[in-house]
Amino acid sequence: MQIRVKCSCGEGNCPEWAIVELQGVVEAQPSVGDRIQNLEIGRLCRVSSEETYTFTVGYHELSGTKTPLKKPMLVLKKNKIPDLNSPNSFKAELEVIGIIRHRILFKTRPKALISRLQK
Amino acid sequence: MAGGAEAVLSLEPNSAIRICYHSDFGSHDEILLLEVDDKLLPDILQQRTSVRGLQDEDAVLCTPSATYALKFVGNSNSVFLIPPANATNDETSHSNLSIIAPVIKIAPGNMELVHVAPKLDKLKTLLAKNPYRPEEEEQGDEDYNLQSGLYRWEDLTNIVQASDEELKGELQALSAVEIGGYWRLVEEKAMGQILTLLLHNSVLCDWSLASLKEDEVVATLVADGFSRTLALHCLETYGFKENRADECVWGLDPKKVCVYFARQVLGDGKKKMENFMDEWARRIPTGMVASLEMLEGEVLMEKVGIETWIRVFSASSLPSTPAERFAALFQERQKWERKDLNPYIRNLRVPGMSLEGLLIKYTRRTQPKADVEPVFSAR
Repeated sequence: MQIRVKCSCGEGNCPEWAIVELQGVVEAQPSVGDRIQNLEIGRLCRVSSEETYTFTVGYHELSGTKTPLKKPMLVLKKNKIPDLNSPNSFKAELEVIGIIRHRILFKTRPKALISRLQK
Repeated sequence: MAGGAEAVLSLEPNSAIRICYHSDFGSHDEILLLEVDDKLLPDILQQRTSVRGLQDEDAVLCTPSATYALKFVGNSNSVFLIPPANATNDETSHSNLSIIAPVIKIAPGNMELVHVAPKLDKLKTLLAKNPYRPEEEEQGDEDYNLQSGLYRWEDLTNIVQASDEELKGELQALSAVEIGGYWRLVEEKAMGQILTLLLHNSVLCDWSLASLKEDEVVATLVADGFSRTLALHCLETYGFKENRADECVWGLDPKKVCVYFARQVLGDGKKKMENFMDEWARRIPTGMVASLEMLEGEVLMEKVGIETWIRVFSASSLPSTPAERFAALFQERQKWERKDLNPYIRNLRVPGMSLEGLLIKYTRRTQPKADVEPVFSAR
């Protein structure tokens, strides 16, 4: 089996995706259940002209920095396309849909905020 | 209002955005991350790569010239993946007060590329199952069209985990030829017949073996019942094309021709050295000089008492992965001197490892005294 790696964006103008990375996991309130779509995770704030950021999740604040990745990361999408040679079967296809060159990494322990942050 | 990855990456100092789960947030197993070296980016973005392998094999990514294993590397951090705004149909009704960057999935890790040697042993096994015999042509189309165990180029790229360049190189190394759209090995007996006929014709027509005109040579072989493809394949296998603008001229390679006859003389058995040398010298074409150096990597010699015996042991018949190659060598002989070992290991290719490194990894080196040749044995 051979799967061609497609790319329709052409070199140089691949849409750039972003990564916000933190240690551990973020959990929603039990009342939310599985329906977390559209739910706010937190607020990302760039606190100075340097690449330092805070990420406020619930009552916790994380501090981190934006760093370029040592090697770029491609975002690939696996598509199933109908196989023209045999009906009712599918062929796999891989498509480059984006590139990631930076991530904002929060690797400090969260700082507890005393009271809920004002809007 | 702009959002998405752009908003995250171009966030102004002293400003904030909301990071939310996307309206389509989920596990999205179809979205994968692949870490790529900058030097490989052009090949991938210009659509020159493909993933190759059968269902039960670990997939590899092939550029036009190299093969890379795909390794998954897990990440215990939460990696929020945020697509650009225009790539998503986010219908979230967000407030005008803040910009939203939606997270489409949490990536459990990413794939990495590791440069590896191509898996070419399979190619020889596949092609050796059904070697080409000139009689096929006479057996009529029905038989010929059964096509079982026959492989087109596309079939090979589907089955063999190697880049196009590596695959082409191995087809050449195996002396495979494309006949009727299928890549084939030609039965050794048939190749010998064609070579013998070619040598015979050159004596009759008084041709120089160092300068054979393609048109003439091919025409005589075709007249004797061999196809044009096979005639040319014989020239490619035992000779080299000379670069001349006016006409196609080939020279036979004395080494390749002499090796062929040495193998013929030895067959599957072993012979006493003197007997072998006599017979070999008698068989090779006039004008060619046989020397034992030509047989490096083709034969092994061993002393029994005062006699030296010689037999076929061909480097090209050995497996191409280092572990299997050394196992086969030490099965043949428990101890090797470096000069004997050399012809059997010099074509081993492992990305990131030298031949010396392979010797350290797969052999035990013993040297009782400084003035004695070191000996290599199995680890």
